[in-house]
Amino acid sequence: MSTAASPTVASSFVTGLATQLRVIHAVALRETRTRFGAHQLGYLWAILEPLFWIGTFWGLFALAGREAPNGMPIVAFLATGVIPYEIAMKTADRCANAISGNKSLLFYPQVKTLDLVIARGTLEGATYGAIFLIILGGEALVTQHFVIDDVLLVCVGLGLGCLFGTSLGLVLCTLSVLSNSVERLRGPLFRPVFWMSGLFFTAESLPTNVRDFMLWNPVLHCVELVRDGWFASYHARHASIAYVLACIVVLLFAGLTLERVVRAKVEVT
Amino acid sequence: MIRLEGVTKAYRTTVGDHVVLDRIDAEFPEGVSVGVLGRNGAGKSTLLRILGAAEQPDAGKVVRKGRVSWPIGFAGGFNGSLTGEENCRFVARIYDADLDEVIESTRAFADIGEYFRMPVRTYSSGMRARLAFGLSMAIDFDTYLVDEVTAVGDTRFQEKCRKAFTERKERSSVIIVSHQLKTIREYASRYAVLRRGRLEMYDDIAEAERAYEANA
Repeated sequence: MSTAASPTVASSFVTGLATQLRVIHAVALRETRTRFGAHQLGYLWAILEPLFWIGTFWGLFALAGREAPNGMPIVAFLATGVIPYEIAMKTADRCANAISGNKSLLFYPQVKTLDLVIARGTLEGATYGAIFLIILGGEALVTQHFVIDDVLLVCVGLGLGCLFGTSLGLVLCTLSVLSNSVERLRGPLFRPVFWMSGLFFTAESLPTNVRDFMLWNPVLHCVELVRDGWFASYHARHASIAYVLACIVVLLFAGLTLERVVRAKVEVT
Repeated sequence: MIRLEGVTKAYRTTVGDHVVLDRIDAEFPEGVSVGVLGRNGAGKSTLLRILGAAEQPDAGKVVRKGRVSWPIGFAGGFNGSLTGEENCRFVARIYDADLDEVIESTRAFADIGEYFRMPVRTYSSGMRARLAFGLSMAIDFDTYLVDEVTAVGDTRFQEKCRKAFTERKERSSVIIVSHQLKTIREYASRYAVLRRGRLEMYDDIAEAERAYEANA
């Protein structure tokens, strides 16, 4: 922001980066307030939603007399499905709305679309990361069983999920500048992902032809990676870090290109 | 200093492209306050958003020297669900200014009492203008972009705004847009008329007035 007489490329990159980090930090802090509301209760709601899905599937499993596959405890099995799914898809959803929810911020020249998306992605990642710890920590306390098979793999699965969601959100967010119908299509496009991401099944348990189709869904890979890392008894033979990374790179490339294209078209109100 | 070089901006509407700014070349020199006159819908706010880099022109270039404020007005820039104070905190953060100083000086200038700690959506447009103006004064800019904000408040607030600008005349200049000759006269020493996408500069207010009235 300073107007040095003749900034070298390196120094203008550093000041640019400092400004961007400051903006992302400020937007993320602000989003904390608007996301969770003025009351502490807002955080409770964020936890209740995944708990609701875990409870629902738990009930359905009980009714059907089914158990979690590979000897996984049922609540941990469902939690390692629901939360990685949410870290990916809720982040995508929130990032896709980044502009419409923060339009007034673009008034300030240093605030760019990309900052809004990164701030939301960071906040959602941190939120669901914390929710993951709270719910699975609670489960461990109740079952008195706390052994994580591979912490790093759990982090990789959650991290990839968050990155995938942010990149997908960036693409949708920039596309929404070009056309309103993107927002309307999002619901119908996202809904099948909920049923196809292994929230209540494992890739291992699927018939080969179904599995081959389902494995196009990167969110399923993230769920598989988290479960592989969490449970000693489960090994995700079909999950591929490289595949999810490839999806992220392609989406990021598309999203960053689109951001350039629509930059002049974002209307500020 | 801000210089516009062939700046063009059009908005897509249902009845085709509407060109708001049409190949504008203009220079707003350092230390000189400029008042831009324009009818409603002439593109005054668009011009300010482009000067302040909130929006990009479709074609052309904007060259800025020194720190330029965001367009200060009663619309935009605030999040309605956050309080006045929280909005100040956000702006102070992105401009790397001291949080407490900015909050204190904005509170004092805006003078909106308890409302400072209430969501901005509960504000009247006059209160929004007070907050926006106070906040922009709390951060040092070389050029202030003002969108008729002073026309909103009551006489006392208008007096306060004028005084604030007079005090910092040595350091900062103002680019103010308005549809009222009166407002422009109080702040500016150079004048411009924006109409049909073109911007004409005048040194003499009488000339500007003639040009403005001529196409009334």
